Amino acid sequence: MMLDRRELFSRALAAGLGASLPAEALAAGLAAAAQPQWALALGDVAADIAPRGLTRLHGRLPADLVGTLYRNGPALFRRGDTAVNHWFDGDGLVRAFACHDGGVQLQARFVDTPKRRIETAAGRIVQPGFATPARPGAQVGSADDTNAANTHVIAAGGRLLALWEAGSATAMDMATLATIGPVAFRPDLKGMPFLAHPKVEASGRIWNIGLSGKHAYVYRLSAGGALEAGQMIKLPAASYCHDFTMAARHLIIVLQPWLHEKASLPFSTGMVWRPEQGTRVLVIDKDDLTRQRLFELPALFFFHLGDGWEEADGTIHFDGAFDSSPLFAVEGAPALVEGRYPRSERPMLRLVSLHPDGRARLRDAGITAEFPRNPGGHDGPRPTFHVGGYQPGRPFARSIGRWDWQAGRGQAHDFGAHQIVEEFVPAGPWLIGTTINLKARATELHMMRADRLTDGPVASFRADVALPHSFHGSWLAA
Amino acid sequence: MTLNRLLTVALLALAPLAAAPAAAEGPATLTVTFTVTDAPTGQIMLSLYDNEAAHDRGGKPVAQAAVPVQQGQAVATSPGLAPGRYAIKAFHDIDGDGKMGMTPFGMPTEPFAFSNNAQAVGGPAPWSASNFAVDGPAAATSITIR
Ligand SMILES: [Fe+2]
Repeated sequence: MMLDRRELFSRALAAGLGASLPAEALAAGLAAAAQPQWALALGDVAADIAPRGLTRLHGRLPADLVGTLYRNGPALFRRGDTAVNHWFDGDGLVRAFACHDGGVQLQARFVDTPKRRIETAAGRIVQPGFATPARPGAQVGSADDTNAANTHVIAAGGRLLALWEAGSATAMDMATLATIGPVAFRPDLKGMPFLAHPKVEASGRIWNIGLSGKHAYVYRLSAGGALEAGQMIKLPAASYCHDFTMAARHLIIVLQPWLHEKASLPFSTGMVWRPEQGTRVLVIDKDDLTRQRLFELPALFFFHLGDGWEEADGTIHFDGAFDSSPLFAVEGAPALVEGRYPRSERPMLRLVSLHPDGRARLRDAGITAEFPRNPGGHDGPRPTFHVGGYQPGRPFARSIGRWDWQAGRGQAHDFGAHQIVEEFVPAGPWLIGTTINLKARATELHMMRADRLTDGPVASFRADVALPHSFHGSWLAA
Repeated sequence: MTLNRLLTVALLALAPLAAAPAAAEGPATLTVTFTVTDAPTGQIMLSLYDNEAAHDRGGKPVAQAAVPVQQGQAVATSPGLAPGRYAIKAFHDIDGDGKMGMTPFGMPTEPFAFSNNAQAVGGPAPWSASNFAVDGPAAATSITIR
């Protein structure tokens, strides 16, 4: 419906007014007038961003913070008179913020996917996605033809992996960000789904899953990204899982009641919310994937979970950003592409505890939170770093927080109403992450002390460009 | 994930093929030239259909064949066809095991294609996009498998 209106509107414009004014100027003027300030978070990046320095705003780059922050997120939503139908369907742009010698260099390149090639040639959005329908000219021979490679980027085996969830990881060159191509961890795993949130042990070993209906394929990779083992397991429900989690000895798959009930394109049209079925939590022994336990929770909706930890008595804890329904995924995120914000997001930080007697308990931090990140290791409780400060009236987060479940308290830094705050990642004693400054209309990079968030950033840098909201990324120390 | 299921359906239609000579009745002969791009080895396995129902809903092909790939090309000839509309589903059996390679989720791992080079959109190209005329002793078509 949204696209029909958009298309009708631009046709009306071309017919009625286009003759008297240059079309581009007209479109730009209208876009500026109609769009809220935050629409910068879903702006279009026309081309790769050549390397350039950032301007230092205040503070000094910490001497022990040398390396690169890689981030990924959708950055092209519109082509010609077409647009994607959902925030999650834009082309992935991988950004590298290289920190060294007191300064920061930025470069960014789109992942060169089949989807991007087909749509560049067509000059239109034609490929189906999470919620975008296939249009005339679509070519879908495999899931990877719809792979936006736009969700996360990790480093493994000397290269970057740009991740999506319903298709392959895409390898990229760490220095140039040139796309190498889709990764098949074994010839028969070509094009298999690979979630955007692999879990990494202290040893460097990587675990991940890929989902198809009621089946999960469990990948165990070496620190270098080579397949050590792969195994299929059956799930009790065909839930949507954007993320899973891991404790020292277990993989944990949270099966929310947003169920894949129909094979149809785009993907989201086959999903049904069934809160009466509750949420099931599948706990799998990493040493023997057939050893499983199932716990039950009330209906919850989530995208992201924090790392898990286990107590001596076998109790497993993990947190996550939980909402009460998938309405943001179904209605909120599609509207963002149009510059509308019909529905407030209320992701709440909650702790799930799975007890040896089979009971599952929920605890509330009492704060809004998304993009939880932990400093690594699964042998005990870790602080959860998160974005937060969600408020009615404007989408996206405006603060960075830290929550300690043991102490039952947190701290936060509010960047202010003019900032959109993206995920921050731990880097030793530091947290590093990006914001979009809506006043300056520019992307900023900030470093904070992980134990003193309330001090605000120790240093801040500003790019000469505003990049749209990214999802996830990785710090790679030099 | 949806794609997985839709393409599984595509695969079923490309089930392992036994060489089945066409009933030599009609006056038309079809020559199909395949060009492959992934590997210069293996064989092409193809199914030829003569009606929409069989093609789109998992019915029987009128002919099936396996032809070797040599220097990136393969040629299949089907004599004795009745003049009319036909469509082809084919895959490049790169490892020559006579089967479409599959992932644990039942997705194809070997390249496939359809006549008219019609595009798959979450499933096999439909008859409406892939059918073509076979109308004489020297009918020919070509398919690129990438
Ligand atoms: Fe995510």
